Amino acid sequence: MIKYAVRRTLQAIPVLIGISIVIYSILLIAPGGPEARFAQNPRITAAQIAAFRHRWGLDQPVPVQYCKWLGACGDKPFLINALPGGSIVLAGYRIELPGGDNGVLHGDFGFSSVDGRPVAAVIGDRLPPTLILAGTAWLIWVLLAFISGVYAAVRRYSLFDSALTVFNYVGFSFPTFWLGIMLITVFAGTLKILPAGGMWTVRTIPPFGTPEYWAFFGAHPLMTLGDLGIHLILPVFTLVVVNIAYDSRFVRSSMIDALNQDYIRTARAKGVPERDVIFRHALRNALLPVLTNLGLEIPFLFTGAFVTETIFSWPGMGFQFIQSTANYDYPVLMGLLSVTALVTVFANLAADLAYAVVDPRVRYD
Amino acid sequence: MAEELDVNGTKLTPAELEALELEHPDFEVQLESLGQWQLAWRRFKRHRMALVGATLFFGMCLVAIVGPFLLPYNFYTIPAVDKVVYAGRPPTLAHPFGETGSLQRDVLTLVVNGARLSLLIGVGASLFGAVIGAVVGGVAGFFGGWIDNVLMRIVDVMLSLPLLFVILVVSKFLGSGSWYLIMFIFALFGWQGISRLVRSLFLSLREEDYVDAARAAGVDDLRIIFRHILPNAMSPIIVAATLGVASVIISEAFVSFLGFGVDVTQPTWGNILSNSLSFIPLGNWWWPLFPGLAIVVTVLGINFMGDGLRDALDPRAKE
Repeated sequence: MIKYAVRRTLQAIPVLIGISIVIYSILLIAPGGPEARFAQNPRITAAQIAAFRHRWGLDQPVPVQYCKWLGACGDKPFLINALPGGSIVLAGYRIELPGGDNGVLHGDFGFSSVDGRPVAAVIGDRLPPTLILAGTAWLIWVLLAFISGVYAAVRRYSLFDSALTVFNYVGFSFPTFWLGIMLITVFAGTLKILPAGGMWTVRTIPPFGTPEYWAFFGAHPLMTLGDLGIHLILPVFTLVVVNIAYDSRFVRSSMIDALNQDYIRTARAKGVPERDVIFRHALRNALLPVLTNLGLEIPFLFTGAFVTETIFSWPGMGFQFIQSTANYDYPVLMGLLSVTALVTVFANLAADLAYAVVDPRVRYD
Repeated sequence: MAEELDVNGTKLTPAELEALELEHPDFEVQLESLGQWQLAWRRFKRHRMALVGATLFFGMCLVAIVGPFLLPYNFYTIPAVDKVVYAGRPPTLAHPFGETGSLQRDVLTLVVNGARLSLLIGVGASLFGAVIGAVVGGVAGFFGGWIDNVLMRIVDVMLSLPLLFVILVVSKFLGSGSWYLIMFIFALFGWQGISRLVRSLFLSLREEDYVDAARAAGVDDLRIIFRHILPNAMSPIIVAATLGVASVIISEAFVSFLGFGVDVTQPTWGNILSNSLSFIPLGNWWWPLFPGLAIVVTVLGINFMGDGLRDALDPRAKE
């Protein structure tokens, strides 16, 4: 078990290095480089572009750029720089750490080439809206998938089961972005009862995350929350319809597997009431694969709402991603991709390890 | 009910067959023998949803091929506007899907012309992706060792990235709006699922006796991979590639809708939607509705067909 855990963790290292190389190569494939957005501006001279390239270190060889971006190169010697830098105070003694402080390894993703803000700050601003949207949707669809999946498994081949199968098929075949567009068309365009997008009513409430927003929130908490809720309805509904299918089918099949086990027949033969058979004997055993699957969905909270955010102008990471792509804002793009990839790698690792701990039937090696 | 046997087109129970044989001692029974693919086709034909799905999908392909010739309007001719009207016009008999806002284009013409590239990119990208995935998975599963390790770590890297968004960036930076570049980009980022599948199939198939026999006969590795093992791994690849068409069509539509994919001069279901958002406040529901419905119908058809294929191609499936 420990051997497996160590091996599985070590396996993540080359994957992380590979991810960093892929993300870095985005900078290389860019037509015209980060200065491309100046190309249309007749007032910017070649000398100014050269100065821009020098300022951002774009005139250096690619491996050096990559090494600096990663944080393995910098003021300190090669690789030493990758160690934690700065200083810490321990028991009254100030200890200088040997490493550097630049690069992704030290949480430094550089600065946005559009407004010069640190990338970490940009992501920090965009993360809470994404988590609010994806988290709300995730809670709702997991709950609905659970109830509908268990019910369909217990009443197998019933009308409800068939209806659920059809619904899941259709939901599965809906392009997320188109469902969003149609919901906006109906509820915002034609009926005019819900907002077409955004996260708050611009004219009455200050921008989300600013001190003014929290001051306003303190003064009118119910109104602010209600406003947020109204803006959440359409995007959350979109996410639930599109994503419930997979989970509900998963719960259903895992529950059917559990119900077909011998111990269920034993329980029924002993005269255990059907409700106890379902909830105490079957459901508990059906939960294990379901919970692992939910663990694998954690990265979704970061990336899964990207498409929906774009359609509903929800000011989260996906929305930022589209804007940064359109503006050739590489540092932010690379930062967003790094964060989501990191979360995915660690969520997969955690799910694998948890599965090995929880299920004694799983044997590795 | 007793099992029926098909003897040269006549259904007989085993008892009837025995009686016949007793009556005519020189009666020779010729049992019809069917190949693997014939059996699969038989099972597929009995799968009602699969037939519905195939009809939807191939119907849409037919629309894509002949549709543009049958319509009274040409995609590249922008209608002469007699009066400057910004809002689109709702469906009428002459324009059953309505007309778009701004340029007053016939939505039916847009949808029918968009079908060509949407389907072509979906099928093409998924086909190329399946070929890459089969080669990578085959090599990894057959040779194992460090090759396997390197290839599977590459797959892990790809699966850890939000691929739709990597595709979006790459399409924007390298696609230059042309449909075949977009198709290759989708293929290049769409093979990792199939490669894992093929690898796991190869891991078990390479232990089969016929592979040992081939090796003992001196057949070289590449021939064993492509002639002896791959044909036996074909069924799951076909199913996965079929379902892949659906996901490429949806993703391509999204990327082109945002204006990062195929150029608007080459219509796809995605890019003909790209300006529709600004007309929503005017209540122009017909513009976004019909191109999207085309996507849903196609994707639903492909998913039904894929499920039918999965059942039909599984040799352990019951007749």
